[in-house]
Amino acid sequence: MANINWRTINIDALDPESSYNFDLSTLTPAVLPVSTQDVQTLSGQIRQLLRGGNAEGALQGALENAPYGADEQGKAAHFSAVTECLNQIRQAEMTPLLQRLYKTEAGSELCDTLMKYLYKGMSQGANTPSNHASAKNVTPQATGFSQAGGRSFGGGEGGGQAMSVFLSWHEKLVEMVGPGSIVRVMSDRRTV
Amino acid sequence: MSQSLRPYLSCVRSTLTAALSLSNFASQASERHNVPEIEAATSPELLLNPLVVSRNQDERVLVEPSVNSVRVSIRIKQADEIEGILVHKFMRFLSQRAEAFFVLRRKAVAGYDISFLITNFHTEEMLKHKLVDFIIQFMEEVDKEISEMKLFLNARARFVAESFLTPFD
Repeated sequence: MANINWRTINIDALDPESSYNFDLSTLTPAVLPVSTQDVQTLSGQIRQLLRGGNAEGALQGALENAPYGADEQGKAAHFSAVTECLNQIRQAEMTPLLQRLYKTEAGSELCDTLMKYLYKGMSQGANTPSNHASAKNVTPQATGFSQAGGRSFGGGEGGGQAMSVFLSWHEKLVEMVGPGSIVRVMSDRRTV
Repeated sequence: MSQSLRPYLSCVRSTLTAALSLSNFASQASERHNVPEIEAATSPELLLNPLVVSRNQDERVLVEPSVNSVRVSIRIKQADEIEGILVHKFMRFLSQRAEAFFVLRRKAVAGYDISFLITNFHTEEMLKHKLVDFIIQFMEEVDKEISEMKLFLNARARFVAESFLTPFD
């Protein structure tokens, strides 16, 4: 007992009645657990549609069957399939495609799901370490001094290309569905 | 404005506009207290999903919303070591004067350079779109400021080196 610093014990965690122990599963809508196997079969079908040139159908199918109940691995597999669809579609086709998507039966939900994937895509870059930046801009000179490179404003490096795809999709989507979709992404406990 | 900067800033703008819908919410853990829930983290149901907006690996914004407060953390682009030092010094200078900025947080969230904490009291007494404008403007200005400082630093270093080495010429 002597080696425990009792000041640092979070007593709220020990009280079953406290708000700290609120059961979050009561807020989560019931989602069916999906096995990773099923998700992989599904992403295989999506890729097949994509290869057939039907990027719109592939994207719609991917968004309709978002695996909320899958584990991390399954979600990552589905996310990479969605990313491939998004990369395939050209800038000029985005707005008409989104408008068609929005007009379908459950269009608003599809757009919310797409928004979730866009934010997930943008948060992927944050996980990879980026401390290589300090070394690569310094070019050693024969004189023994090293020359620091100039600031590059292009932003093409470091996953900037992938991010600009998500950013332009996000811009087009917000233009159409408004900020309410972002609020639903924040408040929905079902994550993609 | 650079071509890839504009969608980045408009994305941050719409995310912040959506996140800044706050309401007054007293603490559930202790009576007669009213604390920013995102900092206290005493009840998990009050915290919403955090969102990240990123332009590339070195430039991103983390928005952590909750029922009565939003924490916005910005990572500023640092292309080399000099910029790293300049950003660190500049952000330290600002963070030490946090009370003059009202919404500035004294310490940045790990992995980011500067954080803002906006509570429902701020949105009540200030205009919401002006708060968003402030953060967007901050992001625009800070990039300019850092590259300007770097230019000054290089010019100054060159001048110092020249005048130091003149006697040996």
